[in-house]
Amino acid sequence: MRSIRTRREGPSRARRLAPAALAACAAGLLAVPLGCSQALPGPLPSAHGDDAPPRRGGTLHLATFADIRGLDPAGPVDGLNLAVIHLIFAGLVDYDAHANPVPELADHWDIEDGGRTYRFVLRQGVRMQDGSELTAEDVKRSAERALRPSTPDPMASYFQAIVGYDAFAAGKAEHLEGVVVEGRYIVSFYLKEPDATFLYLMAMHTLRPTCKSAGDRYLDTWLPCGAGPFKLEPGGWQRGVSLRLVRHGGYFRPGQPYLDAVEWTYHMGSIAQKLRFESGQLDVARDLSEPDIARYRADPRWNALGLFEADTTVYGESMNTRMPPFDNVEIRRAVAAAIDREHYRLTQPNRISVLNQALPGAIADADPSFPAQRHDYAAALEHMRKAGYPYDPATGKGGWPRPIEYVLYDKGAFVFTAQLLQQDLARIGLRIRLRLVSYPTFITLQERAGAAAMSPGNDQLDYLDPSAVFEPLFTTASISPEGTQNTAFYSNPRLDDLVARAHREMNPAARKALYREADAIVCDEAPWAFTFGYHFFDVHQPYVHGLGANPTGVFDTSGVWLDRAGDALDRVLDGGLR
Amino acid sequence: MSRLLRRLAWSAFVVWAVVSIAFAVNALVPGDPARMVAGAQARPADVARIREQLGLNATPLVQYARFWKRLVHVGPRIIDPKATSDHATCAVLIPLGRSAVHLDFGKSFQKRQAVVDLVAVRLPRTFALAVAGMLVQLLFGVATGVVAATRRGSWLDRLLVGSSLLGISAPTFLIALLLQYVFARELGWLPLDGFGKTVAEHARCLVLPAVTLGVYGAAYYTRLVRDEMAVLLQQDWVRTARAKGLSPMRVVLRHALRNALLPITTAAGLDFGALMGGAVVTETVFRWPGLGELSVEATFDRDGPILLACVVVTSVAIVASNLLVDLAYSRLDPRVR
Repeated sequence: MRSIRTRREGPSRARRLAPAALAACAAGLLAVPLGCSQALPGPLPSAHGDDAPPRRGGTLHLATFADIRGLDPAGPVDGLNLAVIHLIFAGLVDYDAHANPVPELADHWDIEDGGRTYRFVLRQGVRMQDGSELTAEDVKRSAERALRPSTPDPMASYFQAIVGYDAFAAGKAEHLEGVVVEGRYIVSFYLKEPDATFLYLMAMHTLRPTCKSAGDRYLDTWLPCGAGPFKLEPGGWQRGVSLRLVRHGGYFRPGQPYLDAVEWTYHMGSIAQKLRFESGQLDVARDLSEPDIARYRADPRWNALGLFEADTTVYGESMNTRMPPFDNVEIRRAVAAAIDREHYRLTQPNRISVLNQALPGAIADADPSFPAQRHDYAAALEHMRKAGYPYDPATGKGGWPRPIEYVLYDKGAFVFTAQLLQQDLARIGLRIRLRLVSYPTFITLQERAGAAAMSPGNDQLDYLDPSAVFEPLFTTASISPEGTQNTAFYSNPRLDDLVARAHREMNPAARKALYREADAIVCDEAPWAFTFGYHFFDVHQPYVHGLGANPTGVFDTSGVWLDRAGDALDRVLDGGLR
Repeated sequence: MSRLLRRLAWSAFVVWAVVSIAFAVNALVPGDPARMVAGAQARPADVARIREQLGLNATPLVQYARFWKRLVHVGPRIIDPKATSDHATCAVLIPLGRSAVHLDFGKSFQKRQAVVDLVAVRLPRTFALAVAGMLVQLLFGVATGVVAATRRGSWLDRLLVGSSLLGISAPTFLIALLLQYVFARELGWLPLDGFGKTVAEHARCLVLPAVTLGVYGAAYYTRLVRDEMAVLLQQDWVRTARAKGLSPMRVVLRHALRNALLPITTAAGLDFGALMGGAVVTETVFRWPGLGELSVEATFDRDGPILLACVVVTSVAIVASNLLVDLAYSRLDPRVR
């Protein structure tokens, strides 16, 4: 007999089960996207083997987590737009795989007058993207356009060694005296003094030749046009959304580029990149989260498809040498010895590498005998004793009597490394108080004299030469009351002399020796406790070929070609994300 | 009429005050916009040149005066964007024969584009998202609120109220990720994110962000409508309406719900104004290129012209939606007239 339920019998079955069902649904919904137990999908196959010759055609799909600022080599740059600028604009000079300057649009060059004259002989028959031929006049016009005082070029002063720069930059001269056209294909740069860094400067984006449509004045509305392997067509850039470059048919390297087009999607977070990469909508994933990188690296199907990009950054703990307690060199040495850099590395093991000297991995001289900064707890305590602030780890007594303010902003590994620093320094009697501020505030405080005793320092090499580290970060000349680049306010006449001599020294071996001595000085006197270098990790589908680590750290797709198997394409068309 | 004029004057004052405060805050907080343009590694000489180019060497008071002088002014009817004239960054607001009233937010420090162009591109996208989001919020919120109120104490009521608690408590980004996972990745019905290139693609791309906003907002409206309706359904006049033999549906929708519309309208007006400022998280997760994303970027970059333009647009939107709410009151409730 069926019972008739009354309200007195208690809640109905549905009512009793409702909370449990709700909880189960919520838990399920939360757990599924986390995908803790989900295996990675397999790579999409390549049509041919790795030894197959390059194939033409196809579009390479890429994404980045943020937007780019602009595409003019004479305008502001960021970490993302350089990859695009390098595809649109070729330079007179580029780097080989070992970070040595090699000719690109230049056929060759001659260095004369002890390093005061750089004469570039251009390749003949190079076609710009507007169809015109590259001439020495284009090089001069592009240089003047970039260095003109009305141009928002943040790197113009790097070229102040050119004769006539000061008058030109002040608007007192119509032309740059030191850039001289000496023939249809010959252009010379005359410098005020010998400069061994000039080829590296020419490999930067700033003076890359522009089409005649650029004119001799910077204009925001100009459609970027150069001599690189890819060109931007009108409407190809939807700001903040996407960018599409298409093959420059007249590119000077025969048969290249292989791709029909390269497309970037902007503002795509790491999760969206991962999902699109797995479905074949992205060919390369560059901004994966650290756990995802670990998963890809642990998967034998994907491990060989990962690529570590070049390490061109220097990170360290910058100590203001004009503020206590860091005006005491022994305290700085104690900090440099107290930091366990391996712990720093473990915060992002796939992107961070241990750094214990001033030069990053891309240009460091891997010499184990070099007197680099090393973690040595006993030595750190000894330096504290020499500084006059001995610390007893057993009792916790001694050390610097007041807390030291450490200014940082919330980005990347800093919030984690700052806490590691706190722990490491507490063990030698230095108490760090963290002050978290916004990035603009951080920059202001760090670059103002007397505003920040300690802060995380970082430097991305603008060009692959030791001068790009030592000159801005550690020389007296780069100190200024506001906006200093020498955030440690470190001054050492011996180091200044070494760096200045190295800047002029044209003999590579002698130059290397000078920088080695300079590196040893900053490692010993420790205006920075060097901590880590940073590199991107990319993972690509097997059908993406020719993707190699560029020594500059700029993501380089100029030599990429695609060989996608049909079934992979079908999978994308039929079952992929739309 | 005089009441409307008074409201308009007050609205103009509010916009002026909000923008002025935003200007002051932007000028006072530490951080050099020129440094942000030049990059952390630029040399002081290059930063100084860029600061000069951006007009940041002038005192904040002079910059403030320039901002208001430029914001709305009279200029030529036709603007040549290529010209390097003073009007290159303007847009025509009101044509006046050969001349016109111009709107000019200046040029973005970072993007080096006329801000009025950036806003003109992004505002319709944010408007579309705000309207779609509000529709989802109101449709779901009011419907579930009414159902919950009429089934008060039942399992359905508890389910709806419990779900609304979940909707209010869950962070927007989590809702967004769940929707992306289910509807884009697993089912493949909708795009994961993006904006699309055609109107149809825009519409498809709009669904998930609108539902994300809808889920969050609908939860709030569910509780609001339920509570309002629960009180109203106990009123004597409702009992009278029932006693007169009106159908339950008619009593609920025609009598009770109509009386519950005042607080709903107030809340919806405020919410819509806020959404017009940009649903930052939703826009970011779904890569919906609207004002929210733009204003966040501008904040991090200390891009003053964009920041102030976003403040102007947001404050005008909030003030306008409040004004509309006030006007709607008089239509909904004759006692307010």
